[in-house]
Amino acid sequence: MTAAEGTIFFLPGLGFGAAAAEPIAEAIGDRLRVVGMDLPGQGQAPDAADGTVGAMVDAALTRIETESDGGPWLLVAHSMGGKVGALVAARVLSGRANVFGLAGAVLLAPSPPTPEPMDDDKRSEMLGWVENGSLSAADARTFLDQNVASPLDGTREQDALAQVQRTSPLSWRRWLDTGSREDVSDAVGVLDLPVVVLAGEDDADLGAAAQPHLLSGVYPRARFVSLPGTGHLLPYERPDEVAAEIVRLWNETVPVSPELSPEWGRLIASDRTPVETRGLLARRALADDPGHQPSALSSAQLTILRALADLLVPQPAGRRIDLAARIDADLASGSGDGWRPAGLPDDASAYRQGLDAIARVWPDSADDQKRLIRCILEGEPIGGAGGDADSDTDADLLKHWFEDLRTDLARTWVAHPATMARLGFDGFATSGAAAVPGYVNLGAGVRDPWEPAGLGHLKTEEADEAGGADDAREAGETA
Amino acid sequence: MKLQGMRTYDHDEIVDVVVIGTGAGGAPLLARLAQRGLRVVALEAGPNLDPEDFTNDEVEAPRINWMSERLSGGETPTAFGPNNSGFGVGGGTLHWGAFTPRPDIRDMRLHTGSDADAGADSGADWPIEHADLTRYIVKVERTIGVSGPTPYPWDAERTYLEPPVDRNAPADLMALGCSRLGIRATDAPAAILNHDREQPHHGPRRGSQNLGSIHQGERFGTKATTANTYLPAAVAAGAEIRPDSMVHGIERDALGRVTAVVYRRGGEEFRQRCAALVLAGGGIETPRLLLNTGLANSSGMVGRNFLAHGAVQVWGRFDEQIRGYRGYPSALISEDFVRPADASFVGGYLLQSLGVMPLTFATSLVRGAGLWGAELVDALDAWRYSAGIGINGECLPRENNRLVLSDERDEWGVPRAVVTFTQGPNEKAIDDHAAGTMTSILEAAGARETRVLPRTAHTLGTCRMSTDPGEGVVDGDGRSHDIPNLWISDNSTFPSSLSANPGLAQMALALRTADRMLA
Ligand SMILES: Cc1cc2nc3c(=O)[nH]c(=O)nc-3n(C[C@H](O)[C@H](O)[C@H](O)COP(=O)(O)OP(=O)(O)OC[C@H]3O[C@@H](n4cnc5c(N)ncnc54)[C@H](O)[C@@H]3O)c2cc1C
Repeated sequence: MTAAEGTIFFLPGLGFGAAAAEPIAEAIGDRLRVVGMDLPGQGQAPDAADGTVGAMVDAALTRIETESDGGPWLLVAHSMGGKVGALVAARVLSGRANVFGLAGAVLLAPSPPTPEPMDDDKRSEMLGWVENGSLSAADARTFLDQNVASPLDGTREQDALAQVQRTSPLSWRRWLDTGSREDVSDAVGVLDLPVVVLAGEDDADLGAAAQPHLLSGVYPRARFVSLPGTGHLLPYERPDEVAAEIVRLWNETVPVSPELSPEWGRLIASDRTPVETRGLLARRALADDPGHQPSALSSAQLTILRALADLLVPQPAGRRIDLAARIDADLASGSGDGWRPAGLPDDASAYRQGLDAIARVWPDSADDQKRLIRCILEGEPIGGAGGDADSDTDADLLKHWFEDLRTDLARTWVAHPATMARLGFDGFATSGAAAVPGYVNLGAGVRDPWEPAGLGHLKTEEADEAGGADDAREAGETA
Repeated sequence: MKLQGMRTYDHDEIVDVVVIGTGAGGAPLLARLAQRGLRVVALEAGPNLDPEDFTNDEVEAPRINWMSERLSGGETPTAFGPNNSGFGVGGGTLHWGAFTPRPDIRDMRLHTGSDADAGADSGADWPIEHADLTRYIVKVERTIGVSGPTPYPWDAERTYLEPPVDRNAPADLMALGCSRLGIRATDAPAAILNHDREQPHHGPRRGSQNLGSIHQGERFGTKATTANTYLPAAVAAGAEIRPDSMVHGIERDALGRVTAVVYRRGGEEFRQRCAALVLAGGGIETPRLLLNTGLANSSGMVGRNFLAHGAVQVWGRFDEQIRGYRGYPSALISEDFVRPADASFVGGYLLQSLGVMPLTFATSLVRGAGLWGAELVDALDAWRYSAGIGINGECLPRENNRLVLSDERDEWGVPRAVVTFTQGPNEKAIDDHAAGTMTSILEAAGARETRVLPRTAHTLGTCRMSTDPGEGVVDGDGRSHDIPNLWISDNSTFPSSLSANPGLAQMALALRTADRMLA
């Protein structure tokens, strides 16, 4: 068995525990480690102190924090777990959890952050099942039958029934009475991460037809997949399709993004890193949307910006950041750098003009493209019919704007946590909640014990090694 | 900082003094006036921040910088944003590097001190005695907590109350290189606490945390800002600080004296009456406000004489990991080049060791060295093996280096500033000399290769002080030559740039102006 590439954290729906992840785990195989979780009162887990969704989120995050290795992971959440998962993602992406590496989410007939649409009769029927304690075998079967499009096969069905009956009546009641009715949409906000939402065509309120309406505002990048002949119990009814979508989302996000080793991920997750910074790094680590629709630039302008980005800040093939898309988003948000060269219009307009001028003369071959860049850097007119850059002044302005562009590209690249690790920068892990929030060892070649191993050797290892830096330290004051 | 429970004043009350800005120039003055019993109100365009509001992330940190756009022209345009301006209660001291050399007496006599040949190009003298300024500097150092080496190689009289902060790897290497070349270098004076201290009216400040991200703002009070020193003292003495309050108008009576300021807060317009006004908005905002209101400019000097220190850096690549983003960024100083023996220029420069944060370094590689493509990426990969040295170098005034108003208006309806700056032959000569010096120091320390990154820093001189009312905007006390109850206390008043960084001198000048106002 080879080491898994990453982890799937699975949040089950009402009535189910960690074991509900097993069919999916089997279908995925060894490539990804699947960690099923028992939410409070489900599976083996005791009830929570209260019935809020927040209490379930706390429990889920505690488990994720313990199980996470600092490497990449996807959140997979079914039904009730979907509401919990939205809050888990919101906390992780804002840095309010000691975990790093969230790459996306696969949601299975999820309950939305808003109050779950649920028929009153259905709610009272379900509440009735736990009036006298745990669900009876008959009620559990009714529940199962109501939630599948066609019967499950024997062992799966036995397994599912057993889980439903194991659910604590209190947690069952709490979800129906309070949790499902809670509106957590303010706390969730907009979650701009890669997401796939799967739902059955034969499901009712949380079915394929309802999901886009419930979730597209929450997950702007969500891809909605409807499964024919499927009810509500996707983890049991469609484990192969679910596994395939998980692997697909994984392939679309993790292996195409710059790699950050688990050691660095753990440092970002740790209390050394301030909460806000952890959130910023978590969001910057998310894979870019290949279908990014530019908002400040036109598609043509984005295309030429991507081509320029490849030459100005070249990245390793395969694992890349879409620097151009990130700059487009920054331009749209109006976040500038506090100044601009006199003579240039506002940043977004300057970008549009500059990119249009370059597009008019953009050559095909890489060598010619580099020649053109050198020309711009020299402040030479680049020509182009009707071009803005014909006169010397315009060439000069183009050059100034191009300096802004080059700076924006470089800064955007460096701000990514994987680039920080590549460059050997762990300064994000200062100013956090640690007892000694800064550095102790400052000399050349040495590092503090909490720093990633590649950044130097520990003071204690130093005895054997004669270093120029010791010389330097002894040189001291040279008056 | 904590503003709850502070004394407040009515808009209609004629307070004794309104101060615009709470940075290095505004805050010490505010504190002193309040402590002498004056009713004072500070108006600050930026927000009031708590320590947790500071971030070590370079993308987000500009929340403590003046980010409303400025337009920059000339051959060596000045970069603004994070580079050159404070915003928020504490002003520029929230992001300053806390490097606190004292001004050299020769720099305050730049014109008379330089040889006749340099003629009109040789800058202006300060209408202030060095000894007088130094008296105030000593007070500031005590109040904010400045660490440094005693004895100080270039000034036998001087003592520092706190021992210097720890050296990081760039400081070690600069010390090594200097020692091999016979250049004197020592631990830098810095407004960074070495030991925990209980700051009066503020509370506990922690001793050195060896943080390299102090330019982004610092949470532990290790670095002195006006928000953890002078401003709490001012509030304790009865001053009111109004954050998020952008002043855009000044009202006067028939005699031309200031009677009130007009400011915008949360989309609403307010008027605060006052008996005297102090402008402490910094080297860009103060002249912008004066040009926009057309005041105090009978000399025509408002916006002229814009000065930006030479701040060229040289980086050397070493075999070991330097990682200069650890520790106090500029822990070593040399004052050996304030007047280099072989100089062909007016003035001189200070040297400081350098470690910088990654985005700042990337920006310098792009803007300063013009790098792109594989060369840029290689230079960034080499950053962790690199140590830097930088300067703060004299800058002489030039006819076309100035600030004017643009046609374009900002979010408050005020015309934007257009700042034109081209380094002249004297600045270039200083840069060249310094680049040579720094390259040899790094090579002597064992650098495999070196790279020069041109830069400039600070915004000075745009309302300079002068004895002759035709030559400047304010007199040596900081009082307007034109309007008797208008004063300026910020970097715009510097008649010459000095080779010492401006923050410490600014705080001392502020105390001195306060005393003159009280006299
Ligand atoms: C990156 C950087 C590093 C530095 N490092 C050092 C260093 O290590 N050592 C050193 O000595 N100096 C350093 N300096 C310089 C130092 O910060 C300045 O000299 C000092 O802050 C200038 O003081 P000031 O009062 O002129 O302006 P500021 O400190 O900038 O204060 C001006 C304040 O006025 C407010 N304001 C402006 N206009 C208005 C208005 N119209 N209404 C209301 N409020 C307004 C602003 O928001 C701001 O808060 C550094 C500067 C920079 C940019």
